[in-house]
Amino acid sequence: MLPDASHPVWELIATGKRPLESHKPTVNLLIHSNKMSYERDQSPANVQHMAAKTHSFFSHFEALFPAEIAQILR
Amino acid sequence: MPATISATLQSIPEVQAAIAAGDSLFLAGSRNALSQLPRGHWVGGTISYFMTEEGGRQADDRVFVTPIPAFALDVRAEDYGPQELARIYRDAPAHGFTLIVLPAGTQVHRLFAEQAPSFDGFLMRPVVGWVTGVPVDRIGLDSPAVFNGGTGTVLEERCAALHVELPPNKMADLDIVNIFESADGQVIRFDQTGFHVAQCRIAGKPVNLADYISENGISTELPLVADYNGTSINVSFQKVDPVARTVDLFAPVFPGVEYRFAKPVEDYEAAFARQITAEGRGPFFSCNCILNYLYGHLEGKKTGCITGPITFGEIAHQLLNQTMVRLYLRDI
Repeated sequence: MLPDASHPVWELIATGKRPLESHKPTVNLLIHSNKMSYERDQSPANVQHMAAKTHSFFSHFEALFPAEIAQILR
Repeated sequence: MPATISATLQSIPEVQAAIAAGDSLFLAGSRNALSQLPRGHWVGGTISYFMTEEGGRQADDRVFVTPIPAFALDVRAEDYGPQELARIYRDAPAHGFTLIVLPAGTQVHRLFAEQAPSFDGFLMRPVVGWVTGVPVDRIGLDSPAVFNGGTGTVLEERCAALHVELPPNKMADLDIVNIFESADGQVIRFDQTGFHVAQCRIAGKPVNLADYISENGISTELPLVADYNGTSINVSFQKVDPVARTVDLFAPVFPGVEYRFAKPVEDYEAAFARQITAEGRGPFFSCNCILNYLYGHLEGKKTGCITGPITFGEIAHQLLNQTMVRLYLRDI
């Protein structure tokens, strides 16, 4: 089961402090999009927004990305 | 009701019959071919090149058909102008996917290419499709177009979309096949977003890109490649003007992204065959780039087991170049 939206792991993934390896283009586009956003704006509000988006993404697509979810749960 | 037509290159009467039977279809064909189709549940775009079971081919009198499966809960055709394009992801079903076609060289094409990653719903709602074109000997003479079969309109400045809602036990899964990888050259950066560039920075130094390409004898058949967390994303060259010292691209470059020139690919057919592994159930939809068809001499050659239109740009969430896109509908 995925950590809930308030878990700090989502901020770590969103900011790239916890790297996520994937062969899935959709996941990699998300990670890249987060990276670009974080380079532009490191404010707490933006980090929170990115973390929420990352959580929503993996919640919605949980069935497609088991290898990435395993890294998140590690 | 199951679709009455299979996913392949079909004759115009076969497609007319499927539309009359009420099938929901995503279509690719010449303007002449698509103009002969009746109103119905379909959207399509102009293109005359296809990957078929027999290999790549040009055909102006046939239509590549992607039938929407019967298990889809809802299928809705819409079209979008530049002012409405930003809501395309929001209009997409919460659980499903959206198929789109964009006419090459138009404002909607440019807007989507430059701004899709900032649209609300980007990545959360899978958007897949392609950029429409014309036969290469008609570039600059004929206009690419899209068709909204629901309204019976031909559109040269708008994007046509088919929003498809899936049942809870199905999920859209996007994949891309890129036969290019970065060479070991220096990093290229751009300060502005755009399809038209002059200056860049190579290894941190300001350089005119057109001059750099000419002076170093770089083949513009090879794209620029950016690394998006392990996924290679291409930007292809349209034209280098050595007099104006400018470069036109088929997709925009973005500030903050590191690009490199691609390594040469000797045999495109073999490169695709290596990357495409057979799965039990093939993709629901696929398309491949016209530049791969032309530069790779893919006429009569196969791209693994994959079929679909050969296009002027591919869309997997965002605009791609020189890439094969595949959409799978997974059981979950």
